[in-house]
Amino acid sequence: MIVRHFLLDVHEANSFVVACEETREALLVDAGAFDTDVEAFLRGEGLRLVKVFITHDHFDHTGGLAEYVSRFDAEVLCGLAQVAGCKATRVKHGDHVEVGRLQGTVLETPGHTPEGLSLAFPGHVFTGDALFAGSVGGTSSERDRLRQLDAIRKHIFTLPPQTEIHVGHGPSSTVAIESRFNPFFV
Amino acid sequence: MSGPAENREALLDRIRAGACAGERLGAVDLSGCDLSGVNLRDARLSGAVLKGANLSGADLRGAFFDGADLREADLSNADLEFAVLGAADLSGADLSGANLQRANLVGTKAHGARFDGARMYYSRPGNADFRNASLRGSDIQRAIFRRANLSGADLRDATGEANFENASMEGILR
Repeated sequence: MIVRHFLLDVHEANSFVVACEETREALLVDAGAFDTDVEAFLRGEGLRLVKVFITHDHFDHTGGLAEYVSRFDAEVLCGLAQVAGCKATRVKHGDHVEVGRLQGTVLETPGHTPEGLSLAFPGHVFTGDALFAGSVGGTSSERDRLRQLDAIRKHIFTLPPQTEIHVGHGPSSTVAIESRFNPFFV
Repeated sequence: MSGPAENREALLDRIRAGACAGERLGAVDLSGCDLSGVNLRDARLSGAVLKGANLSGADLRGAFFDGADLREADLSNADLEFAVLGAADLSGADLSGANLQRANLVGTKAHGARFDGARMYYSRPGNADFRNASLRGSDIQRAIFRRANLSGADLRDATGEANFENASMEGILR
């Protein structure tokens, strides 16, 4: 499994390429801006971008989506049927996402946005702005805050402790670190 | 990937040759080794024992050292941007001049460690133990020390606005 991180020029947002080493099919997690480094990486590694997974509908995660769709004809997966002007396949908690021989599982992590989703592969989970290293995403009400914390406890902290957490902004982490030390949970 | 039969010297040779960037090395014991200037970018050293190791000037960008033992290690001028040092033990380590921008330091033990002149922009030392650490002249702009223990830490000449929400700040020098 290939996982490669890219820091974008928009709000210090992250994008990640996830790819199957055998079939060379790739998925992009979030697309805050079209990044020529991503394109060069895909070309250099002989990868074919087939899907873009959008964790949530904020411009710093979707601003480059139309360009990726246009250049790669990739399928968009999101918690909404339409995102940033692009038609999307609406996915929900428990759905599987195939990338070559890799299989990811969609996890619902609402709160920062109502439709917020995470995507888990064995050993890796991509949480967008639901969970950060030592923090959580902002919410607009106490109800949303509690909903977000509950979803993270139920769906992220129950993954194996060594699972790497790749987030929408800032550094990656692990389930072990966040469940033991994140000040919003302990 | 480092195999179970690979001995320490063979592994050190591969690391020094730059062949281990991005590799899952796991909980290897490289305590006291000279790894100055090596390229371990994106390597996974979760739970590794690097006590007293010399990693000065090393390229450690994006590497995972979660739960690693880095006590008394020399990480001066190392490039640790986006590195994961959460739950690692950096007690007494030297990180002077290191690039820790966007580094994960959540729950890190850094009691008595030296961060003088380190670049810590947007780093995440939440819930970390920075008691008696020296951060003189460091750049802590946007660093998030939420609930960290900075008692007795030296922040003289540190620059930038950091988040110290619910942090312990008794006896800090500023």
